[in-house]
Amino acid sequence: MNVFLQQVVNGLSIGSIYALMSVGYSLVYSIMNFSNFAHGGVIMIGAYLGYFCLTQLGVPFILAIIMTAIGAGLLAVSIERIVYSSLRKRNAPSLYFLISAMGASIFLENIIIASPIGPTFRSYPAIFSSTPIMLGNTALSRIDLLMFIISFISLILLIFIIEKTKIGLSIRATAFNIKGSTLMGVNVDKVIFIIFLLGGLLAGIAGMLFGMKYTVYPQMGEITTKSFIAAVFGGLGSLPGAVIGSILLGLIETMSSAYISSQYRDLIAFTLLIFILIVKPTGLMGKSTEDKA
Amino acid sequence: MNKRLLLIISVLLVFTMIFSACQNTDTGKPSEEETIKIGWIGGLTGDFAPWGTCESNAANLIAEQTNANGGILGRKVEIISYDTRGDAAESVNAVKRLITQDKVIAVLGPNTSGQAMSITSVLNEHKVPNIATVATNPTVTVQTDGTVNPYNFRICFIDPYQGAVAAGYAADRLGYTKGAVLYDVSSDASQAFSEYFQQTFIEKGGEIVAVEGFKGGDVDFRPQLSKIKEANPEVILFPYNYKDVALSANQARELGITATLMGGDGWPSEVLMEMAGEAIEGSFIVNHLDIADPVVKEFTEQYVEKYDIKPEINAYLVHDAFKLLEAAIIDANSFDTVKITESLTKVTVEGLTGTIRLSEEDHNPIGKQAAIQEIVNKEYVFKERYSPY
Repeated sequence: MNVFLQQVVNGLSIGSIYALMSVGYSLVYSIMNFSNFAHGGVIMIGAYLGYFCLTQLGVPFILAIIMTAIGAGLLAVSIERIVYSSLRKRNAPSLYFLISAMGASIFLENIIIASPIGPTFRSYPAIFSSTPIMLGNTALSRIDLLMFIISFISLILLIFIIEKTKIGLSIRATAFNIKGSTLMGVNVDKVIFIIFLLGGLLAGIAGMLFGMKYTVYPQMGEITTKSFIAAVFGGLGSLPGAVIGSILLGLIETMSSAYISSQYRDLIAFTLLIFILIVKPTGLMGKSTEDKA
Repeated sequence: MNKRLLLIISVLLVFTMIFSACQNTDTGKPSEEETIKIGWIGGLTGDFAPWGTCESNAANLIAEQTNANGGILGRKVEIISYDTRGDAAESVNAVKRLITQDKVIAVLGPNTSGQAMSITSVLNEHKVPNIATVATNPTVTVQTDGTVNPYNFRICFIDPYQGAVAAGYAADRLGYTKGAVLYDVSSDASQAFSEYFQQTFIEKGGEIVAVEGFKGGDVDFRPQLSKIKEANPEVILFPYNYKDVALSANQARELGITATLMGGDGWPSEVLMEMAGEAIEGSFIVNHLDIADPVVKEFTEQYVEKYDIKPEINAYLVHDAFKLLEAAIIDANSFDTVKITESLTKVTVEGLTGTIRLSEEDHNPIGKQAAIQEIVNKEYVFKERYSPY
């Protein structure tokens, strides 16, 4: 029983990282109908920003996470302005967006490798004690607890913005029908600016938490492949779907390595996902391609 | 037009004559005083440059020392180094050139398995032996179908051997009876390391209580580690490189695992200490040698004096390869490459990386001791030289 509880904690903690990352994919997809693979690059830059805020500037943790979020948000917005906006103006097919996004992601990775920062692994200074909180025989690490709390607050704020504010209304309208909302006077440029900013803010937070928990290196953006899969699994374009898909993926992975075989973990976990997608092609929470967000 | 062509042709002919004349004086009359040539190949530029340069430097240093002591069988030794850029095709060219033009009696290096495997056919054709330095893939000397490459030898231990050493040390010296393994399923070396660890550990009377895998690139090992924790082992093998070691060691300690950790030559790195200094305190690693070993220290100092930089591990392996070759030449009492090859598996040499004797069956060092290091106060402390057999 104790081991089971420990594995649940492990699964939730892996899932909550996927969740923070996958929400960014879903946000962009809901409006622009393409998978923004540059998101992984933004997360990676976020991890470096947080690292340098803490080690070079020596700012307190809370300030560092805010600075990182803003920095990554601005980066995501500039990627949109530089890479996607011209494609958007020419009404390019979404395949072009996808390829540009991959290009941007490779660019970001290599600019870090080529810069004086270099390809070495870096580790965050120890901000929190690494001694876990013991609940009986179950170890709950402090950083995991912090990640749960920060992810939870960020996701609640995001859902609040989308559901309760005027800008949220225009985001939902744009997601529902981009042409229709333009006709109704919604400024689509502004909506796109906002979703990239929101996605970037979350990417910065996710990157920093990821870096604190594990390590920072130029290829860390690759881990977002799994969060992207989680977003698809939950139903691309649906925020609650992305969160639930991520948590489930974390749990499925953990449980298959715990109770079946860790050597075949990915094989088992992803076979299950394929099976679910065959039964329900739009993902768990996805409705139809018309009705998103 | 015709005049110019004639001129060019005649100039070329003159050059050809000069060169062939030179060649004749070179090889025509071998004298007793003539130096003997030993080839070295490896990457002097490109990714492997730091290691290659060090190896080539070390080989020259040893040749100098040997010459100062009267050479081998009264003849002076010369090292001829060719750059392969770490490339397999380039290695073939370099070895061809060494054998056919420079008439070397043996080839030392290269420092990767890929290069060492590519030169086999050239060696076989010309019957010239090669002693590889850090090519740890088993197939360098023995092909997958079991046939031994007659002219490929190696000085380093192979990937599976590290596993046997780690298991033997854990069972015999540390007295552990319950072991566990976490390994990278996407890496050949990690897989071989872990298999032989399990096999030897069981042979020594131990019990393997958990075997878990992960895929290279993973960052979270807690599901596997939680299972390992449940099995309650005394020692856990981490047979992979420092980044994954740092992450898995930290996570193991976070989960409250107190078992001793063990690893191989993928561990040593400054980054590992920075990332997981506390988590790996008290761990044991299997390495090729320990630089704090007094025998090794002397050579290190000589190297630093000459080249003003700290040598990499390759320097010691090329040293031992040279010493083995020297012993084989003396044993054969001849510079004939076939006779030297026969002697390579007959001689025993006290090297810097342990006692070296190559097996006739697989051309690998037999029971070569590995250096066991313990991590104490974030330093690698040499424990002993150890062989499980």
